[in-house]
Amino acid sequence: MGSQFVDINRDGHLDYLTATFDGSPHVAFGNAKGFAEPVRLKDRNGKRVVISSYWDYEKKKHDKTGRALGVSEAPRERCISALAFDWDGDGDHDLLLGSYENGHLYRQMNEGTDEEPEYTGTCVPVMAGGTPFALPAKMTAPTLVDFDGDGDLDIVTGSFGNSYAAKGESGGVYLLRNTGQVGAPVFAAPETLIAPPERAGTEPNAPHAGLYPTVADVDGDGDLDLIVGGYSMWTPKGRELTDEEKATAERLAAELKDARAAYQALMQKMSAAVMDAMKGLEPRSPEAREKGSAVRESFKDRIAPAQKRMRDLYQKHRELVPGPQRKAFVWFYERLPAEKPASE
Amino acid sequence: MRIDKLHTLTLAAGCAALLPAFATAQSGDKPMFAEPVRIQAGGKGLGDGRMYPSPMMHDVDRDGVLDIVIGDLFGRVTWARGTKTTGRFSFEGEKPLNAANGKPLKFHNW
Repeated sequence: MGSQFVDINRDGHLDYLTATFDGSPHVAFGNAKGFAEPVRLKDRNGKRVVISSYWDYEKKKHDKTGRALGVSEAPRERCISALAFDWDGDGDHDLLLGSYENGHLYRQMNEGTDEEPEYTGTCVPVMAGGTPFALPAKMTAPTLVDFDGDGDLDIVTGSFGNSYAAKGESGGVYLLRNTGQVGAPVFAAPETLIAPPERAGTEPNAPHAGLYPTVADVDGDGDLDLIVGGYSMWTPKGRELTDEEKATAERLAAELKDARAAYQALMQKMSAAVMDAMKGLEPRSPEAREKGSAVRESFKDRIAPAQKRMRDLYQKHRELVPGPQRKAFVWFYERLPAEKPASE
Repeated sequence: MRIDKLHTLTLAAGCAALLPAFATAQSGDKPMFAEPVRIQAGGKGLGDGRMYPSPMMHDVDRDGVLDIVIGDLFGRVTWARGTKTTGRFSFEGEKPLNAANGKPLKFHNW
């Protein structure tokens, strides 16, 4: 969730605007005592502001709708970031909505006022360099800032990259310069501020996944720095092993591989047995649930030892050979002075 | 600014200069940044171990010094107070950002 402190209802108190993975913008309205309980923003039809995919709290599952995109077959796009921004310069806050999947950015106009907003319920793609903005590595959250000092608001945003694999694609940080005017923004093609870093360290040396950036002059030297939250991936350097320990590590790795294969085979066998027991029944019916539970129960005494064996082998192997690590931190990127031409 | 061997950082800066509105932007150049360093708050790594920490600079306590607000995947929000001691700027330990009812602010997630 990105954060924006903005007086979205123009009552003189800063509000806290964000969006979460439930697919809608949330706002905690500010008052004289602090922030009220957060609520989800609704459009002028009284429906949740969404892009397409959202968590249905009543049905307890993800659902999707094409109403905001004007399509019958809605793509899966969860709104996980939101900004208030007077796009058309008419004096009220419109919305910028970012999607996780495909990293698209949309605007939804407010045809009311800040005091009585009327969000249209329609998402319009934000263009960047003449094409709909997209971050294939999935977008975290954009932030608005006059990065180039030309008097209008630019966008700085980040991407997720692969959030789990030790050697996967990393996320980056990008700038969309606003080359238009106040009330008529035009965003240029994205520039890379932080290129996706390689995942090769033996200690945490950079954010590699889920890069959430914000911009401020943190060190007070007069230029804009980056503060970036994100996951680091690294593999600690292990100690030198004796020949005997190397042989043990190899044996443990082979045994672990076999144990994993055996566990997966057991799980597949259980899944097949559950499907067989539920054949002909409504999948979510009480009878089907009961039959499925009975089968799973009958497998418990085989699954538990298989899991324990995997855990034990994994721990013994890791004592000799450190494995990939993954942990989130918040990072500071100091802005460096611009390079001067060689002739100066 | 102080950087130790663990890529951690204590920030040195003046209070007013921290506000982004006073920053001098550089137009037209290709922005360059130093290698990243981990930010410390109250002697601990800021946002360490949170799920997808998302920082935002904001003067929470309205003392003229920017603080850092950190959201996360679960919709929890903490903040670390920015302080200035003998010219060195640093952050106090993270604590929950409370709502008006005195309870930690929490945004709904699925």
